[in-house]
Amino acid sequence: MTGPLAIIVPVLAAIGLMLLNGVVLIYMLRKVLGHLHLRIGPAHVGPKGMLQTVADVLKLLSKEDVRPAGVDRWLYVLAPIFVFAPSLMAYAAIPFSETLRITRLETGLLYTFAVLSLVPLGMIMAGWASANKWSLIGAMRAAAQQIAYEVPLLLSVLPVVMIVGSLDLADIVAFQTGMWWGLVPRWFILLLLPSFVLFLIAALCELNQTPFDMSEAESELVAGFATEYSSMRFGLIFLAEFSNSFVMSALAVTVFFGGWTLPFVPESLTAPIAPIIFVAKTYIGIFFLMWVRGTLPRVRIDQLMNLGWKWLIPAGLAWLMIVGFVVKLAAPGGVV
Amino acid sequence: MLPDATRVKSLLSHFDGVEVETTTLGVVARVAAADVPSALGTLKASDLDFVMLVDLLGADTGEEIEITYHLRSFSRDEELFVKTRLPYDGVLISVWNSFASALLPERETAELFGLTLAGHPNPKRLLTIEGEAPLLRKSVAIRTLEEVRDR
Amino acid sequence: MTPDPRDTVLDHGLLAEGTFEPGEAPAGIRRAPTGIDQLATEHLIVNVGPQHPSTHGVLRIVAELDGEEIVNAEAAVGYLHRGIEKLGEHRRYHQLATLMDRGDYVSGIHGELAAALAVERLMEIEVPRKAQWLRCLMSELNRIASHMVWYGTFGLDIGAMGQFLYAMRDREAILDILEEVTGQRMMFNYVRPGGVLEDLPAGTEEKIRAFLRTIDGYLDEHDALLGGNEIFLKRVRGVGTIDRETALSFGLTGANLRASGVPYDVRRDQPYAAYDELEFDVPVGATGDAHDRYLVRMEEMRQAVRMIRQCVDGMPEGEVMAKVPKVLRPPAGEIYACVESSRGELGVHLVSDGSDTPERFHYRGPSLFAMQVLEEIMPGTLFADGMMLIGSVDVVLGEIDR
Repeated sequence: MTGPLAIIVPVLAAIGLMLLNGVVLIYMLRKVLGHLHLRIGPAHVGPKGMLQTVADVLKLLSKEDVRPAGVDRWLYVLAPIFVFAPSLMAYAAIPFSETLRITRLETGLLYTFAVLSLVPLGMIMAGWASANKWSLIGAMRAAAQQIAYEVPLLLSVLPVVMIVGSLDLADIVAFQTGMWWGLVPRWFILLLLPSFVLFLIAALCELNQTPFDMSEAESELVAGFATEYSSMRFGLIFLAEFSNSFVMSALAVTVFFGGWTLPFVPESLTAPIAPIIFVAKTYIGIFFLMWVRGTLPRVRIDQLMNLGWKWLIPAGLAWLMIVGFVVKLAAPGGVV
Repeated sequence: MLPDATRVKSLLSHFDGVEVETTTLGVVARVAAADVPSALGTLKASDLDFVMLVDLLGADTGEEIEITYHLRSFSRDEELFVKTRLPYDGVLISVWNSFASALLPERETAELFGLTLAGHPNPKRLLTIEGEAPLLRKSVAIRTLEEVRDR
Repeated sequence: MTPDPRDTVLDHGLLAEGTFEPGEAPAGIRRAPTGIDQLATEHLIVNVGPQHPSTHGVLRIVAELDGEEIVNAEAAVGYLHRGIEKLGEHRRYHQLATLMDRGDYVSGIHGELAAALAVERLMEIEVPRKAQWLRCLMSELNRIASHMVWYGTFGLDIGAMGQFLYAMRDREAILDILEEVTGQRMMFNYVRPGGVLEDLPAGTEEKIRAFLRTIDGYLDEHDALLGGNEIFLKRVRGVGTIDRETALSFGLTGANLRASGVPYDVRRDQPYAAYDELEFDVPVGATGDAHDRYLVRMEEMRQAVRMIRQCVDGMPEGEVMAKVPKVLRPPAGEIYACVESSRGELGVHLVSDGSDTPERFHYRGPSLFAMQVLEEIMPGTLFADGMMLIGSVDVVLGEIDR
C-alpha cells in the first residue's frame, strides 16, 4: 500500500474498530451491570439480546435532531465532534501487535495522553453551548477534574518511561517481554505497583467513570454536559465515552501488562494471535471499569479535588523521585 | 397522656377569655386568635415543656375557621391542643418564631381556607395555583357523581 | 438615576473602582459582588425538579448556587395535590383507608391503620386480639418494604447503583407476601375500622418464614454493600447534621428525630395494635447526621424482622373483625390517632358530626415536616450533598401534597 490508500485505510480501520467496539461495549456494559444487579440485561432482541445495541443505534440515527432554542448554534453542533474526534485520534498510536498498528510514533505515549486531554474541551463547549445550567455545571466540573488529574496521570507513567528510556509504546511492550529468572513476568505492574495504583485512580477520573463521574453525575446534574443533546449527537458523545475507556484500558495493558505478549508461553505461539491477546487483555480491563461502575458510590467534588491535588500529585512526585534514584544508581556507571 | 388542665389554665391566665376543657381529643385550650403566638411561646417556655408543634390544622365549622395547634412535651409525655377561631376573612398570625414546624402547615392552612397569613417569612401559596378557591371551606363543593358524568 | 455599575463590570470584564450600592436585583438572579477585587459573580438559581433524577417523585427544590455550594434552598410542592383531605369529607369512614393508601403510597398499611384507629377510638370499638397482631405483622412487613425503597434510592442519590436492585429483591419478596394477604401490592385497603379484612391465607405463614430465613443475611449484605463502603461513609458522615433542638422545632418524627437523639417512638410511647405485647428496641442516633439516619433506619429494619418473628410465632387464634355496623356513624367529637409509619408519626385528625361522613379529615404526614427541615440544612452544603440530604430524610411526595 502506498500513496493516499496508506493513509485512508488505517483511518477507516480505526473508525470501524471504534464503532464495532462501541456496539460490543454497550452490550457488554448492559450485560455486566445487569448480572451485577441481579438482572439479566437485554434478552429479547436477537439471540441473548445481542441485537439490542444495533436497534438502539438505529433508533438514535432515526430520531429527530432537536436543537433547543437559545443554544449557541455553532458550538452546539461542533461540540460532539470535538468530543468524538480526539478519542478517534487516540487509536493512532496503540500497538495491537508487533506489526498491527495505525502508525508507529516515537512519542506514542505522550501523543495518546495529549489527544485524550482534548476531550474535555468538547465537553466544555457542549456545556456552554447548551444554554442549560446543568450542562454548565457539568462542564465546569469536567474542566476542574481534567486539570487536577492530568498531572498525576502523566506522573504515574513517567517511571516507566524512565526505565525503558523511550516514549514509544512498542518499546515499552518490548521491554516487558520475557521473564525474570524464568519465573516472574517482566510486567511493570509487578515492578512499579504504586505507579499502577496512581494510574488507575487518575484514569478512572480521566474517563469520567464512577466513582469520579462528576461531569455527568446523573443524580445531581441530570446528565451533565450532555443534558440537551439528543439523537446521533448524543450518540457521538456516548460512543466517545466507550471508545475512551477502550483506549485507556489499552494503554494500561500496554504500559503495565505487557501489551500483546503472554508470560510462560513461547513467543512463537503467541505471535500469530497477538492482536487477540491484546484485545482480550483490554476487555478484561474494561470489565474491571464496569465492575467499579456497578458497585461504588460517587465521591463529592471537593473530595475529588483534595484527592487529586493533595494526595495523588505529591505521591506521584515522591514515587518518581524514588524510581529516579534507583534508576540512576542501577544505571551503568552508577554507584551499584 | 393528658396534662393537668388547671395547670395549663393558670399558665395562660394572663390572656383574655382562655378556656380549658377536656374533650374526646384531650385537653383543649381555647385562646383568642391574636394571643396565639404569645400563648404558644408561654407554653413552650413553661415547665410543661411543650417543645414540639406536632400538627397544625384548620377546620371549617360553618360559621368560622377553627385552627388547632397540637403540642407535645417529650419530657412529660403529654399532649395539648390549642384552638383558636378566626372569621372567614381573618388573619392567621404565624407562630414560626416559637415552632419552625408551623412554616409549611401555616401556608397550607391559609391557602386552603382563604385566610391571610401574617408574620410569616415566606407567605406564598403552597399546594395550589394562584386563583384556586379555598378548597377546604364547606362552601366550596366538590363535583358530585352526576357532575363528573356530565362533564 | 445612575446606571448600575455592575453591568459595566460584567460587560467589559473590568474591575470596578470605589464602592457602590447594589441596586434593584434583577428578577431570579441575585448579583452579589464578592471578593476584595469586587469582581462581580452571579449566583445560579437551579430548579431541582419536579422532573429530576433524585427528587423522589415530584419534589421541586429551588436552589441558589454559589459555584458548587448551596446558598439558599426552597422546597416547592403541590405537584401531586389531589385534595385527599377534601375528598375525605365526602367519603364514608370505611372508605378513608383507600384515601390513606394514596397518601404515603410506599407504606400504605400505616396510613390505613391510623385512619382505622381514629374511627375505632371515636366509636370505642373493641378490636379482636388476632386482628391487632395481624396489624402489627403487616405494619412491620410494610415498614421493611418501605425502608428498602429508601435504602435503594438513598444509594442512587450518592451515585451507587448496585444496592438499589438488591433492595428491590427484598422488597419484591415482601410485596409478594402483602399481595397474597391483601390482594394488592401497594394500595392494600386491608386494615378497616374494627379489624382487618382477612386472615392470612393458607401457605402465607410458610412464605413469611421463608422470607425471615433469608432476610438476616441480606441485611448484613446491604450493610456491607453500601454501609461499609468508604466513599459512602465519607459522603454521609458529618453532613446534614440536625441537632436535637432543630429536630424538635421542625417537628421531625420517626427515624429522623431518633437519629437526632430523641428516643421517641409512637409504637413504644403510645402503643397501638399489639405493640405493647411485642419486644423491640428503639435505636437512637448520636449526632443526627446523614449517617446516623442511615444507621437508625437499618437498625429499624432489624427490629422489624424481630417483631415479625414474634408475630408469626405468637399469632393468636380468633376473629379478625369486630362486629361493626355496615355504615359507621361515630358520635360527634374530635379525635387524633397516630401510628409510627416508616417515615415517622403519621396522624389522622378526625372531626365527626355524627353523620356517616367526617366533618373534617386531616392527614398529618411526617414527610411534610421532614421536607421543611431541608430548607434549614441544605444551605451551606455542596450541591451533591444537597441531593443526598433529600434522600437521607426520606420523603414521599404523596404524603406532602396529599
